[in-house]
Amino acid sequence: MRQSGMGDPSRRGFLKVFGAAAVAAGGVGALAGCGTVGGAKNTSSAGSASGAPSGSITVWSWANPAAELKALVPQFNAVYPHVQVSVQDIGNPAIWDKITIAMEAGGSGLADVLHLGVDYLPSYIEKFPDGLADLSGLGANKYRSAFAPGLWETVSRGPKVYALPWEANASGFFYREDLFQKAGVDATSLQTWDDVIAAGKEIKARTGVALLAIDKSASQADSANLFQLLLQLQDSFYFDISGRITLNTPEAVTALTIVKQLGDAGLVFDAQGSPGSTGYDSAVKNGDVAVCPDPAWYGGYLETLAPADRGDWRLMLPPSVTAGGSRSAIVNSTHLAVAGTSPNQRAAFAFAEFMLTRPSSQVSVFKAKGIFPALLDAYADPVFHVADPYFGGQKYAEVFIDELSKPSYPTNYTSDYARALKLIDDAQTQVLQQGADPAAVLKSAAAQLAAQTGRSQS
Amino acid sequence: MTGVHVEAHVEAPVPARTRPEEPGARSGRGPRRPRRYGRLAPYLFILPALTLFACFQLYPIAWSFVLSLYHTDGTIQTWTGLGNYRRLLHDPLFFTALRNTLTILVVQVPIMLALAVGLSVALNSALLRWKPLFRLGFFLPVVTALVTYGLLMGVLLSDNNGAVNWLLSTVGLPKVHWLTDPFWARVSIMLALTWHYTGYNAVIYLARLQGIPDEHYEAAAVDGAGPLRRFWHVTLPGLRPALVLTVVLSTIGTLQLFDEPYIMTGGGPNNATETIALYMYQTGFRYFDFGYACAIGYALVLIISVFGLIQVRLAKEED
Repeated sequence: MRQSGMGDPSRRGFLKVFGAAAVAAGGVGALAGCGTVGGAKNTSSAGSASGAPSGSITVWSWANPAAELKALVPQFNAVYPHVQVSVQDIGNPAIWDKITIAMEAGGSGLADVLHLGVDYLPSYIEKFPDGLADLSGLGANKYRSAFAPGLWETVSRGPKVYALPWEANASGFFYREDLFQKAGVDATSLQTWDDVIAAGKEIKARTGVALLAIDKSASQADSANLFQLLLQLQDSFYFDISGRITLNTPEAVTALTIVKQLGDAGLVFDAQGSPGSTGYDSAVKNGDVAVCPDPAWYGGYLETLAPADRGDWRLMLPPSVTAGGSRSAIVNSTHLAVAGTSPNQRAAFAFAEFMLTRPSSQVSVFKAKGIFPALLDAYADPVFHVADPYFGGQKYAEVFIDELSKPSYPTNYTSDYARALKLIDDAQTQVLQQGADPAAVLKSAAAQLAAQTGRSQS
Repeated sequence: MTGVHVEAHVEAPVPARTRPEEPGARSGRGPRRPRRYGRLAPYLFILPALTLFACFQLYPIAWSFVLSLYHTDGTIQTWTGLGNYRRLLHDPLFFTALRNTLTILVVQVPIMLALAVGLSVALNSALLRWKPLFRLGFFLPVVTALVTYGLLMGVLLSDNNGAVNWLLSTVGLPKVHWLTDPFWARVSIMLALTWHYTGYNAVIYLARLQGIPDEHYEAAAVDGAGPLRRFWHVTLPGLRPALVLTVVLSTIGTLQLFDEPYIMTGGGPNNATETIALYMYQTGFRYFDFGYACAIGYALVLIISVFGLIQVRLAKEED
């Protein structure tokens, strides 16, 4: 093997040429992910305007919801025998990239029915005007008041309707009754977040357990869930209803200050992840936290996550920020939309309609996975009114039904929510890790967001 | 290189001279056809690769440049000329990403390449037994899929229940915030990169080392050179072309760093591990700002080209 290749000019030359080629290829590779196919627009409508829907449709969703959609397909086919349905579990967050790429490519390769989170829906509506089908022509308007208040505003723009609401996640305040008792604190007496902080100190002193978990280093995009909840409880959000930035406001400073006080008092368990991901969930399961101020879906999720804690958890509405203030907030929701390029929009809408507007569909989904429906008619079912032994015999779904029936602050996510979220994550990290001043970091975050988006500040 | 030129000059006139001597020359058909196909053949052979390259590389490259001149909002595009590039110059996050990327480049690449040189010399040593086993061991990380090892590193380095912190605690050392402290997050990314690519570079060096003739070492030994001087005066000069290659490749790879921070830290905490490629991805696929993302891409191309050209030029000058 050991030939005298060392002085051979062509070999050395090859390496050098190869190096130069690699420079070029490297530069080229940096761009390959950047190109998009523009233009191809395809606005074909449903096959026939009348008669029973037929053809095949594809549905994109993720994990639990996808499994439930799949389970309901036989029932759907009993009513619509000529529609072939393929439900695909794309995974979350992978589904957002997949939808974005398909939309950017003018809709090629896009599924017919899309499961969308409220944080992405406005972006798709505003940035891809033909991306989602207008469902008003397919009969969506008759469901205008079928869902929890505030959600129709989320899925519609003027006369156009872009999706039907599925999940409505009101915020809960799940707490470990056993730990509260050990610390001698009555959770139901907590009125404001000042009370919560005081209770947290007691619990920490008596049991050594942190009050709640926050992803301090913001390893995931939704690490500022608590901050957002505290904003919503003050009837505020990242943007106001006309799209102006509201991060440099007294409400935002109050919210981030509460987060800072929790952190400074040592009441925050640093979990690497948000609810539903390993870092957060294992902290909950290991008994590292006494409170989960999380959305409705986390209740059903808890039962399977920590079956050993059966009977220890309770649920109440989140305490208000200011005395006598609001104690309800819909912190997120998900929706089914029909792709604008779908050749089978009638069948696709029929599918969404069957899943989301028929109480029996939503009841079975709630029974199986605890996914909380936005459909008001579903709440009459006894399953929402049973005493749940996991929550110590509490009728836990009633807490959310009560919360959802109250008027809640309409949140305007806008198409720049992702940018706002990133800046808020960074601001929160600076506060929790470096002791930064909430007012100062929020002022700079608001200014950066204004520079990036061209939006004005309120 | 010169050899290639000479060949090309010599070859060109040959067909002209041979043509009249060919048997079927008068009819003008028979013999010419194979030659015409003969000339076409190379192009036919590269055609499939060229077509794929044109569709999936050339077209996106050209189109993304066009796109970088537009302000894009989803599918709505408005002409902005150099607007995106001007915006880049006033974007604090871009410069944070650039600074992070260069820090990793300046710190991690020299350490990794030095380790790889040491490793390749060890693996080439006549004293080492079980060579294939060690070679395989050090090369295995290269074969591991990026996502797999990113996830693996994330689990190992986790604050609360990671194996590394558990090991530290068993010997009485304090817990390290591997992924959640800005400083240690950068260290973790560098550790992961080093683990993944040292073996790759070592294999390149190893191939080169095996090309260094034993006589050179023997001659140096006869002249009284000890092991260190032999390493300095025989091994390192022998490795030179491979060193140039790996420096260039590692520079490009690091400037394009994406997978590790994407999976391990998401660019955090507070943008401590945000890289240019990650920022480009977020701008395009999180914020739907494809025009600006393309401008970031072209800025990256420019930076890579400048680095690459400097390195190749330096290597040439030292020759």
